[in-house]
Amino acid sequence: MANRSPTLPALLSLVIPGLGQLSLGHRERGGLILLMMLLFIGLLLWLQLSPLYWLILLPFWAMNVFDAYVLASERRPDTTTLFLLGALPLYVMAWQATDINLQRLFSNVNKVQPLLSGLFQPLFLEQDREIAIASQQFYVPCPVTETPEVSTASAGGTIETSVTCGNVGETMTLRGEGFPANQQVALWWVNPVNANSRIRIQDAYEDFPVGADGSFEGEIVIPEAIPRQSDQPPDRHRIEVRYVASEGGWFITETAIRVLGHMGETIAQALMATLVGAILAAPFSFFGARNLMAGNPGLVLLYYFSRGVMNILRSVEPLIMAIVFVVWVGLGPFAGVLALVVHTIAALGKLYSESIESIDEGPIEAIRSTGANQFQIIAYGVLPQVLPPWIAFTVYRWDINVRMSTIIGFVGGGGIGFLLAQWIRLQDFRSAGAAIWAIAVVVILLDYLSAKVRERIM
Amino acid sequence: MLEIRNVSKVYDDGTHALREVTFNVKDGEFLVIIGLSGSGKSTLLRCINRLIEPSSGQIIYHGQNVTAANPAELRRIRRQIGMVFQHFNLVKRSSVLNNVLSGRLGYVSTLPSLLGIWSTADKALAMANLELVGIAHKAQNRADELSGGQQQRVGIARALMQNPTLMLADEPVASLDPALSDSVMQYFEKLNQERGTTVLCSLHVLGLARRYATRIIALKAGELVYDGDPQGIDEQRFREIYGDEAVEHSLR
Repeated sequence: MANRSPTLPALLSLVIPGLGQLSLGHRERGGLILLMMLLFIGLLLWLQLSPLYWLILLPFWAMNVFDAYVLASERRPDTTTLFLLGALPLYVMAWQATDINLQRLFSNVNKVQPLLSGLFQPLFLEQDREIAIASQQFYVPCPVTETPEVSTASAGGTIETSVTCGNVGETMTLRGEGFPANQQVALWWVNPVNANSRIRIQDAYEDFPVGADGSFEGEIVIPEAIPRQSDQPPDRHRIEVRYVASEGGWFITETAIRVLGHMGETIAQALMATLVGAILAAPFSFFGARNLMAGNPGLVLLYYFSRGVMNILRSVEPLIMAIVFVVWVGLGPFAGVLALVVHTIAALGKLYSESIESIDEGPIEAIRSTGANQFQIIAYGVLPQVLPPWIAFTVYRWDINVRMSTIIGFVGGGGIGFLLAQWIRLQDFRSAGAAIWAIAVVVILLDYLSAKVRERIM
Repeated sequence: MLEIRNVSKVYDDGTHALREVTFNVKDGEFLVIIGLSGSGKSTLLRCINRLIEPSSGQIIYHGQNVTAANPAELRRIRRQIGMVFQHFNLVKRSSVLNNVLSGRLGYVSTLPSLLGIWSTADKALAMANLELVGIAHKAQNRADELSGGQQQRVGIARALMQNPTLMLADEPVASLDPALSDSVMQYFEKLNQERGTTVLCSLHVLGLARRYATRIIALKAGELVYDGDPQGIDEQRFREIYGDEAVEHSLR
């Protein structure tokens, strides 16, 4: 075989990848190359990618020809490079499949801005403020016979528009006087159904500056309002100018109190789930310990049964279980507890079983030899060995359960996550920020605490 | 006091650990079992208190048939037989005192013992036994804080809690520094001479066996190949027991 020309296998691999390797007797290698190539071609056809993508097969194809040549001349082949090049098409297709778009990551950064700014201004504390409002009625569309209502702000200040009626998109001048000098005021448009929106002045939503004489003036555009029928009388809108009349002391917000309450609920949820889960996992774990279940076919069957149940339960995410329990017992923390209990039994059961399996049989033998009965053997030989790791695992589980129960709240399982999900939906990002900070602080603290406890015990 | 009649043991994997072993032990003897590792010494000792179930044969202890005993009877027999192990078999995380007290479990009622309640008499006995082996000052330490020699003394104190009439010792000095071997073996000698406790001890160092035994039995591949005086083991016997390549170092 050494005298044969290495060109033939190389040519074979050029025509059908892997064929050269197969002809040289490298069955696994050749078969794998052929299978990979078929898989890639199949994927490319199925995904209907542009012909350009077919180019990514080239390096692998070329390397496969070279590999056949090297093998035929009985030199050492470069397997690593071969299969790295073989993995290349897979990565390219995975990139495609996961819809990776780095451009969007940077161009859309402004969309996340309100969320991030909320995160950096969590609504824990707020300053007591008195807001003064000056307003004037405005009619859309013209003509109008009524006189618009005007109200002066409690701390002074009146506004006046150049016209009292107009159509959407028309421009008018807004004038104000009697406002505190050099302060910022906010302009709001209140439509007939009392929905508030900021008025845009010269393309800016920012607060409007008041001059040194207490007056301001600017052009405003009549905004898009609610749909209306042409035969109705004109709608009554209202223009409001709002400003901070006086600032008082800081106070703890209602948000902070709610965050605290729901955080407590989350911790309690985790506590209950861990306690109930641990109590149920303990007896279960004896059935899942191979060393205790040996000898008798019935016991071995029980062992496989309990291990199987634990593995299946553990592979179902608590989030999914929470959805099931929300349907079962309704929204709220109880559903979350149930989901966590089920997962905790499975997770702790496995860890408990493994610590039973790893105990030292010596002390058990020694205690049995003193004439102790089965209960005494467990109390004096098994428990002292497994209790410290059990406690460590349980504390760790509590820590995990707190983290999990924040997520479970998103599907209605109660606790802080429930609140956070609501605030995100309502786009109340400062409150959401407060909840996120509270979760972060509690998780970090518990993580530290449980690590300390485990260190002590083990 | 102890009769071993035709005891055989075949493990599930087919290993013949003991083949028709028969011998008697008289009250007050210091009987040493010698043999290579794997010759069946540990199996034989564990068959006596049925930590390992013999496959066939009978074991009679003080007229009671150990092999035919029901679980409750077996526990009553076991509590009269102390046992000391090569690897000490202490609960490492428990205190020395708790390890020693656990030797008394066969004599106390279940519920208080499960709750960790011990009578003053039992606690005093535990301290006295710790005193006897010279480590009363370590009573509150965790067992794994002690050195190997000290741990084996805790093991002896635990067995003494049973007030045993027979003491089984499975290679009690094999995991200890040779320099400590005598210090531990002397406790068995003292027990044997002062309390008249029968001692059945396996050893693999013939020198130690000669020094402490009143009688030696030898096992080879599960068969009893010698039963007699310590002095009776000459060069030829030695080769029979330990194989042709063995050289006895500890003799000289």
